[in-house]
Amino acid sequence: MDGSIKVKNLTKTYKGDVKAVQGVSFEVEEGEFFAFLGPNGAGKSTTVQILTTLVKPTEGEIFVGGINVKDNPEGVRRNIGVALQETGIDSVLTGRELIEMQARLFGFSKKEAKTRAVELLELVDLTGDADRPSGKYSGGMRRRLDLAMTLVHNPKVLFLDEPTTGLDPMNRKAIWKEIKRLNREEGTTIFLTTQYLEEADQLADRISIINQGRIVAEGSAEELKRTLGFDAIQLTFETTEEAEQASKVLYGIGENMEHSKEEVTIYTENGTQFLPELVRNLDEQHLSPKTINVKPPSLDDVFINVTNEEKERV
Amino acid sequence: MSDKKNYFFVDTLIHSKRSIITILRNPFIFIPNLIISLFFLLVYEGGLSGISQLPAFEGANYLAFILPVSIVSAAIGGAGGAGQALVNDLETGYFSRLLLTPSSRLAIVLGPIIAGMLQLLIQTILILIIAYLLGLEVAAGFGGILVVLLLTLGWGLAFAGYSVGIALRTKNAQSAQAGTFIFFPLIFLSTTFVPYELIEAGWLKVATVINPTTYLFEAMRSVFIDGWEFWPLAKGFLVIALLCAVTITFSAVSASKAVSAD
Repeated sequence: MDGSIKVKNLTKTYKGDVKAVQGVSFEVEEGEFFAFLGPNGAGKSTTVQILTTLVKPTEGEIFVGGINVKDNPEGVRRNIGVALQETGIDSVLTGRELIEMQARLFGFSKKEAKTRAVELLELVDLTGDADRPSGKYSGGMRRRLDLAMTLVHNPKVLFLDEPTTGLDPMNRKAIWKEIKRLNREEGTTIFLTTQYLEEADQLADRISIINQGRIVAEGSAEELKRTLGFDAIQLTFETTEEAEQASKVLYGIGENMEHSKEEVTIYTENGTQFLPELVRNLDEQHLSPKTINVKPPSLDDVFINVTNEEKERV
Repeated sequence: MSDKKNYFFVDTLIHSKRSIITILRNPFIFIPNLIISLFFLLVYEGGLSGISQLPAFEGANYLAFILPVSIVSAAIGGAGGAGQALVNDLETGYFSRLLLTPSSRLAIVLGPIIAGMLQLLIQTILILIIAYLLGLEVAAGFGGILVVLLLTLGWGLAFAGYSVGIALRTKNAQSAQAGTFIFFPLIFLSTTFVPYELIEAGWLKVATVINPTTYLFEAMRSVFIDGWEFWPLAKGFLVIALLCAVTITFSAVSASKAVSAD
């Protein structure tokens, strides 16, 4: 057992010919921090469910820690830790009971399970609440408990499916800190899925972007930023006609443009420097936008660019 | 291989223990059910016991006649709890969490069933004690009580198989809840209040013959009222064995689908 992940040509087709994942291939080295980035419904969760033995692939070769997921799912389960987005906990049991039970199911003796629970509760800062029913925990506490349960058996590979979605900044930082520590200090391989570009940027060595079941871009955060890192200038107009006109005037000015109804979005490097020129151009045509917004690219913006490029190539 | 067996027993123990804790900490899981069953016993005994003067009852005590209804209704509630517990785990996502451990898959499903059976056993004993305090006499003696417990467990297991199967198939609380409505025809389209000869409507007579609960009622009544008689018991145990075979197969198939999604 090592900490690597190898996926070759993974395909998942659900009933009714719904293609959730279409021929995805990637490799993650032992000790690497890998992020799988994509919008809702891109195929992230399905991929994680397949890699963690919950769902069977339709096609493809998948090795987690050198073990074939199809041939030996139990072997895979012994070596991975999984915090799924929709993973729940039994709200009647206390945090301590849940961790102890988890440890017992991974083959710890009663005594070992007790010791392990004490360590983990300390680690995720839940010692004070260990003996309260987990149903009384706040969202952040529950997520921390979930992480502790995931770590019971010191997994070599950790799968985290949107671990910080819906968390407040403080809890998010706490989770980030802990997974960073696991990766840097314990050499745990991390496979993280997220919708947040910032999260992948902060944590991951390498990022794959998945859209509509396919990988559309891959590289380090820096590499991706260089190719995708435009600012988005968002203009809204009173009427659709005005927006239409504006999009004609501004055509070819930025790197890329999106136009829908009253809204025009232009992607360009250094959006703020670019702004005066843009406004002058509009002014000459007696067009004045209702609102102007300049922001760093959101994941949506990145996607629009990636998918547009895809279209152009076709 | 013996190692694997060992793990299976330990896993089953762990899952059962957890299900029992869940039941104990949620008294609302079993108290309403127990109250309804005692309600049946007390109200029907109090209101209808006069009709046992009719010749069709052959001198039977009405308490002994109605007691099986109370026991069977408690059993359905207890066994149905197993399915409810699984639906709950499926809805909260704890079921996936358990599937991600190396635990035996069978043990994950067996835990709530075993807890449900224990709940049912304790409820039945409680009901029997109360019936004893009300003046119940068991014609077949103490051995008869054990037979009644065995019949109840068998019946509970059959119903647990049904409720678990529905739970794992639908994965949703409303559907599982709807599934428990089978309770009403099972309990009431039978020799619930009066012997077969006294049932008036033709359709109810037909339903009574088809309803497996009838054979369970008759088997228990034979023990309470007549002592040791072969045929009622043989029919009762046969019907239960058949039911268990059907529902447990159903739940096993549903379980294997639920634990390995395609």
